Amino acid sequence: MVSKIKKKTLSFQDTIFNLQKYWSKKGCVILQPYDLEVGAGTFHPATTLRSLGPKPWKTAYVQPSRRPTDGRYGDNPNRLQHYYQFQVLIKPSPKEIKRMYLNSLSSIGINHEEHDIRFVEDDWESPTLGAAGLGWEVWCDGMEVTQFTYFQKMAGVECKPVSVEITYGLERLCMFIQNKKSVFDLIWNDDGITYKDVFHQSEKEFSAYNFEYANTDNLFKIFEMHEEETKLLVEKKISLPAYDQCLKCSHVFNILDARGVISVAQRAEYIARIRELTKSIGKVWIESQS
Amino acid sequence: MSELFVELFSEEIPARLQINARNELKKNIENFFIENQIKFNENFNVYSTPNRLVLHIDKIPNEIKLGSEEIRGPNVNAPEKALEGFIRSNNTILEKIFKKNTEKGEFYFFKKESRKIKVSDLLEKNLSEILGKIAWNKSMKWANYDLYWGRPLKSILAIFNKKPLNFVFNHLNSSNKTFVDKSLEEGMKIFNDFNSYLKFFRQKGILIDQDLRKKKIQNKINEIINKKNLKIEQNDRLIDEIVNIVEKPVVIVCDFDKKFLNVPSEILITTMQTHQKYLPTFDKKNNLTNNFFVVSDIKDTKGFVKLGNERVIEARLSDAEFFWEKNKTQNLVKQVDKLKNINYFKGLGSYFDKIQRMRKLSSLISDDFLISKDKIEIASSICKVDLMSDLVGEFPELQGIVGGHFAKFQGFDKEVCLAVSEQYLPNGMESKLPKKMYSIALSLSDKLDSLVGFFGINLKPTSSKDPYAIRRMAISLVRLIVENETKIKLKDLIVYTCSVYRDQGYEFDTKKIQNELSDFIIERLKNYLKEKKIRQDIIESSTFLLGLDDLLKAYKKSLCLNKNINKEIGFETIAAYKRSLNILNTEEKISIESLGFADPGLFKNDYEKKLYKKINDIRKYFLGIGKDENYEESLKILSSIKNEINDFFDNVIVNDEDIIIKKNRLELLNMLCKTFDNYFNFSKISA
Repeated sequence: MVSKIKKKTLSFQDTIFNLQKYWSKKGCVILQPYDLEVGAGTFHPATTLRSLGPKPWKTAYVQPSRRPTDGRYGDNPNRLQHYYQFQVLIKPSPKEIKRMYLNSLSSIGINHEEHDIRFVEDDWESPTLGAAGLGWEVWCDGMEVTQFTYFQKMAGVECKPVSVEITYGLERLCMFIQNKKSVFDLIWNDDGITYKDVFHQSEKEFSAYNFEYANTDNLFKIFEMHEEETKLLVEKKISLPAYDQCLKCSHVFNILDARGVISVAQRAEYIARIRELTKSIGKVWIESQS
Repeated sequence: MSELFVELFSEEIPARLQINARNELKKNIENFFIENQIKFNENFNVYSTPNRLVLHIDKIPNEIKLGSEEIRGPNVNAPEKALEGFIRSNNTILEKIFKKNTEKGEFYFFKKESRKIKVSDLLEKNLSEILGKIAWNKSMKWANYDLYWGRPLKSILAIFNKKPLNFVFNHLNSSNKTFVDKSLEEGMKIFNDFNSYLKFFRQKGILIDQDLRKKKIQNKINEIINKKNLKIEQNDRLIDEIVNIVEKPVVIVCDFDKKFLNVPSEILITTMQTHQKYLPTFDKKNNLTNNFFVVSDIKDTKGFVKLGNERVIEARLSDAEFFWEKNKTQNLVKQVDKLKNINYFKGLGSYFDKIQRMRKLSSLISDDFLISKDKIEIASSICKVDLMSDLVGEFPELQGIVGGHFAKFQGFDKEVCLAVSEQYLPNGMESKLPKKMYSIALSLSDKLDSLVGFFGINLKPTSSKDPYAIRRMAISLVRLIVENETKIKLKDLIVYTCSVYRDQGYEFDTKKIQNELSDFIIERLKNYLKEKKIRQDIIESSTFLLGLDDLLKAYKKSLCLNKNINKEIGFETIAAYKRSLNILNTEEKISIESLGFADPGLFKNDYEKKLYKKINDIRKYFLGIGKDENYEESLKILSSIKNEINDFFDNVIVNDEDIIIKKNRLELLNMLCKTFDNYFNFSKISA
C-alpha cells in the first residue's frame, strides 16, 4: 500500500503547506499575503523594505500577484492576470542556501537526483523598485520553476548585507508536479476542487475589467492622488504607510498599462515616478532601522 | 618539477562569465610566472564547469635562484638611525656593511648573496592578489562579504607539488579540499594532485575539461544524426553555451507534435534555441524536423527529463501556434494606421511617421536601383506592422521576419515579403547581408532614417556609450553599400532625409547633421576596413579627405592596394611617390607658389622630358576612365613610371643652381604626386 500513498499527487494547497512547513523549520517568519494588490512577491514590504538596512531577517510567504496585461479571459492554459508566488527572503544570504532550496524541492516531491535541475543565468531588475540582483532562473527538466536572486540594489540603495530571494511560481511548479497541461486543471485540494473552480470566473471578469472597463480617467486621477499621499507621508517619515500608497500607484499604473492608454514615452515617465517614490521611502526606512 | 593546481568552487557561474574568468585567470597567472622569471609549461589550460574554475600548470621548478645583488643604503652622512634601519630591514649585521662611492656620493651598501626561493612560498604570497585581479564582466556580492565574484565563491583548493598552499583570499582560506557534490555541497574531499582529481570526477561522469565536454556532446549528436539521416545547424555560440552549463552532458533526443511544423520555422527555432537551449534538427533538404536535442546534466534513468522537456516545448509551441494563427490573418494594410499609436522614439514621432519617411526615401532610392516604386512603397508602408503583433511581443528578435511571413500569407509580392523580412539586415559586422535590391533599398531607408533622426535630436553615441546601437546601424549601412557595390549618392540621400523630416515639422540643423554623420560614417568605414585586416596606413590613406559618396571606391582601392602592396605594382607606385614627395618636403620652404605644372621649355635633358611625358600619359589614363575603374589596372599604370622616375633621380639634380630650373623640376615632381592622388593620397603609407 506504500506505493499508493507515494503516487498520490500533491495538491496545490498541500504544495503551499509543505513549503511553508519546510521554510518554517529553517527559521523563517511565515507571513500571510500582503493585503494590497502587488505585481510580485518582491513588492511585499517584508521583502522590499526588509531587504534594506543592516538587520538580519528571514521570511517566507505566499503572495497573490497581479499582472493585468497577462490576463487572457481564462482562455490560455498558461497565462493568468492573478497568480501565486511563494516567496522566501533571507538576509544575509546563508552559504548553504542552494542545499536548502534543493531540499525544499524534495519536500514537494521533486528529487534533484531524478530531474535535470539547472541554474540558468537570469539577472533581475525592477525599474519601479530601483532594484537589481544577480542570480538564476531554476529549470526543472527545461521548465522554469523558480527565480533565485541575490539582491544587489533595492530602492536605489546598495544592499549590505546582501539578501537572497527565492520565488517559486506556484502554478508552474504544480503543473510540473501534477503533470497538467493547463493551469485550470490543477488539483486544488484532495476533495476534487480544481484551479478552474476557484479562479476561472475571476480571470474572465478581471480580464474584462483590466482590458475594457477600467475607468482610465479616474485611474489617472487616482494615481496622482496616491502619488501625492506618498510624498506627504515620506515627509512625515512614516515609511510603511508611504509604501502602501506607492504600491497603489504601481497597481493603478499596471491597469492603465493593460488598458493600453500609456504610450511608450509616458510609460518610462510613470515608471520613473514610481521609482522616485520607492527611493524616497527606502531612505526613510533605512533611517528608521539604525 | 612540480604542478600547480587550483580549484575555485562556487555556485553556478553563467557560461559567458566562465569564459571571461578562464581567460582572466590564465592571463594573470601567466604574467605572474613571467614577471617572477619562473619557468612553467606554457601550454597550460584553465578549465571550468558551472561550479568549478580550475587552473593546472605543470613543469614548474620547486625553487628559483635569485642572483646576488648590491643594495644601496643611506648616504654615509645620514644620521646613524638610518643605517640602523637599513641593517635591520636587510636582516644583517654591521660587519657586512661596506661603503662605496657612486656618482651621487658615498653610500653604505649591503651585498645580498644569491639565494634560493621556494616557488610555493611565492605562490602562497601572491595567489590571493592574482585571484583578486580577475576582471569580471559582471560580478556580485553576497551575505556580509566584500568580495566580488561571478557567483558566490565557496571554497579554494590550492596544491603545489602535492602539498596544500595556504593563503587567505578575502573571507576564505585555501586548503587541499573541495566539495564533491555541487548540488547539496555536502562532503569535502582531499586531493593532492590534478590527475587524481580528474580521475575521481571522470568516474562520476563529470568532465572538468570543457573541450572534452564539447567533444562528447558533438560525438553523440553526430552519431544520432547519422543514424537518423538528419542535420543540425552549425551554431557555435549555442554549443559553447551548452558546454558551459553542464558538467556531465547527456544528449537526449526529444520530439514535438508534427502539427507545429506548420508554424514558420524561425519561430520554432527561436523557441528551441534561445528560450530552451535545445538544438533543432533538419532533414537533408534543410527542412526543420520535429526532432530536437536536449543536453541534460544527468542521466535520464526514469525518463523524467525527456518527458519534462517535451512538455515544456509543447506548451511553448502551442502558445506560438495560437499567436501565429491569430496574427497571420490580421490585415497588414488595415493596421498601418494603428502605428500612429506606437512611439518610434521620443522626438522622432510614431512608427507611422517613420514609415512615411521611409516610403519617400525608398522611393527616391528606387530611381537609382531601377526597381518598382510601387512595390518598394508598399514594402515601406507595411514593414513595421508586425511590431503590433503578439508574436513579435513574444519573439522580439523575430521582428521583420514575422512581418515577412504575414505578408507572404496575405499574398503580397514575393520581393515585398522578402524586403520586409530582411529590413533589419545586416545587423552589424557578422550578420547576414541582404542581396536583393528591394531588401537593400528598404534596409537602407530604415537605417538612414534612424541615423539622421538620432543625429538630429543629438543622440549621437559617445566614445563609451552607444545605448541605441547607432554604431552598429552605421556599420550595417557601410556594409550594404560596399559589399553589395551599391551605387547611391549617400550625401544627397542624407540631405533628402533631412528635408523629409522637415516636411513632418522636425527642425534639424541640416548642415550639422551632414557634417557629423558624414564623419561618423567614414569612421565606421575605417573600422570596417580594420576588421577586414587592411593595413592601418592604407586605411588612413584611402579615407583621407574622403567624400561620403565614395565609400565604395575607397573600399575597393584599399582592398586592391592591400593585396598588392608587396607586389611590384604596389611597391613601385609607392616608391616613386615617396621619393618625389621627400624631395618636395625638404624643399618646401624655399619653393614659391606652385603653378601646378612644369614648363617643358625649361627642361635641360631627356630624363625630364621623358618623365613629363609619362606623367601626362598617366593623367590621360585617369581622365579616360569612367565609373568602371579597374583599380588593379590603375596601380599597374602608376607603377609603370618606375623607369622614368629612376632615370630622373639617377641623372638629374633637382637642386640646380638656377632657381628657376630648380623650381621647374620641383613642379615636375609635384605633378607626379598630384597625378598619383587620382588613386589616393599615398603620403600616409609607410614604405
